[in-house]
Amino acid sequence: MRTNRLSPVMPLVGLVAGLALALCQYMIFVYAPVEQTMGIVQKIFYFHMPLAWWSLISFFTVFAASIAFLRTRNWKWDALSGAAAEVGVLFSGLALVTGSIWGRHSWGVWWTWDPRLTTTLVMWFVYAGYLVLRTLDLPRERLGTVSAVVGIVAFLDVPLVFLSARLWRSIHPAVFASRGGGLEPEMKTTVIACIVAFGFLWAALTWLRAAQRRMAARIDVLATETTI
Amino acid sequence: MLSAALAIASKDLRLLLSRGTGLVQALLLGLLLIFVFSLSQRVGEVMGPQGAAAIFWLASAFCQVLIFNTLFSIEEANGARFGLLLAPVPVQAVWLGKGIAGFALLLCAQAVFLPAAVVFLGQTVSPLWHVGLATVLLADVGIVALGALLGALSQGQAARESLLSIVLFPLLVPVLLAGIRVGAAAFADDIPEGVDSWLGLVAAFDALFLGAGIVLFPFVYGGEE
Repeated sequence: MRTNRLSPVMPLVGLVAGLALALCQYMIFVYAPVEQTMGIVQKIFYFHMPLAWWSLISFFTVFAASIAFLRTRNWKWDALSGAAAEVGVLFSGLALVTGSIWGRHSWGVWWTWDPRLTTTLVMWFVYAGYLVLRTLDLPRERLGTVSAVVGIVAFLDVPLVFLSARLWRSIHPAVFASRGGGLEPEMKTTVIACIVAFGFLWAALTWLRAAQRRMAARIDVLATETTI
Repeated sequence: MLSAALAIASKDLRLLLSRGTGLVQALLLGLLLIFVFSLSQRVGEVMGPQGAAAIFWLASAFCQVLIFNTLFSIEEANGARFGLLLAPVPVQAVWLGKGIAGFALLLCAQAVFLPAAVVFLGQTVSPLWHVGLATVLLADVGIVALGALLGALSQGQAARESLLSIVLFPLLVPVLLAGIRVGAAAFADDIPEGVDSWLGLVAAFDALFLGAGIVLFPFVYGGEE
């Protein structure tokens, strides 16, 4: 039963995430200078990049936790992969929306065949499908195994999706050059602070959802035992 | 393992083809897709080669979902799956057998879709047709490797078609892009970036998911109801 209790460290991580995000707001809107050509819209970058980074880390977590589940059959890995997929879909969805707003302002289009954007979109589709799969009414053992297999296969596809999107793009006009170069030192510090702050948020959300999932599974087991 | 896989494939093909309705549903769906997409043009208008190739691959992808659902549903009745699982062969032989049967059925369907795309979508066949054909064969290997692995996911599921499509289609993106790009070249004889990198990508996809199928199939194909 002890393993199903919430760890006391978890609220602390959440608290640190909240404070760090508040500090980031100050850094984004006061400390970092306004970019000359893009103006205030460039501030999206400070949200977009951490969201995209941490969504990819989420998907890697799903992959690693799925392998761990298939090897050990320990349900904590199943809970972690489900939680990481949820946070990953949320973060990548937000990264897509912020990226789209950036693209509209920067290149005049809502969507462009950029390898990173396309990879993020395809991953969003894959992991949204994965989450639908996890809601199926299947025996717990089977659902855990099936989800783990899809979690592994999905991540194996990432490099190929990226490569194919890059090849595909060579037939389209390149609408932008690589961004992120030539950042002011204040901007660079702010980006790094945002990545760290979103990391805490990611850890707090993933941890909380994994704990909730473990508790839900425990309640299901108790309910079944009571019925029997 | 190979002889067991071939035995399973020939059993599946005999069962499906003797029933007559085995491939018909998948074929009709694909043909309908090609026909409906041909309505996106005005009368007399000719569709661009890339659009036509995209529709051809879309028809193939939907057809493949139906093919693997049918192939895996064969053993759902009367607990026949347990028979396969109890057979003294590696369980990967089932994956390989389903894959071989799916490959054969998909090729048959594509042999109908290709002329349909040429006719309904107003395409011509360029001197690069052999490269297009090689890409179809190579891409089909990867598609059926993944289809045979994920097709087993839907065992015992009511909502199998829709589930398989939403999980499978995004994963097929790399191979579909390659198929569409080289397919467009086969229709129009124009591919500035060359076909080598696309063929390499498809070969990598094939290798990756053939490996994943061998390792992961025993996990998804089990005795659960």
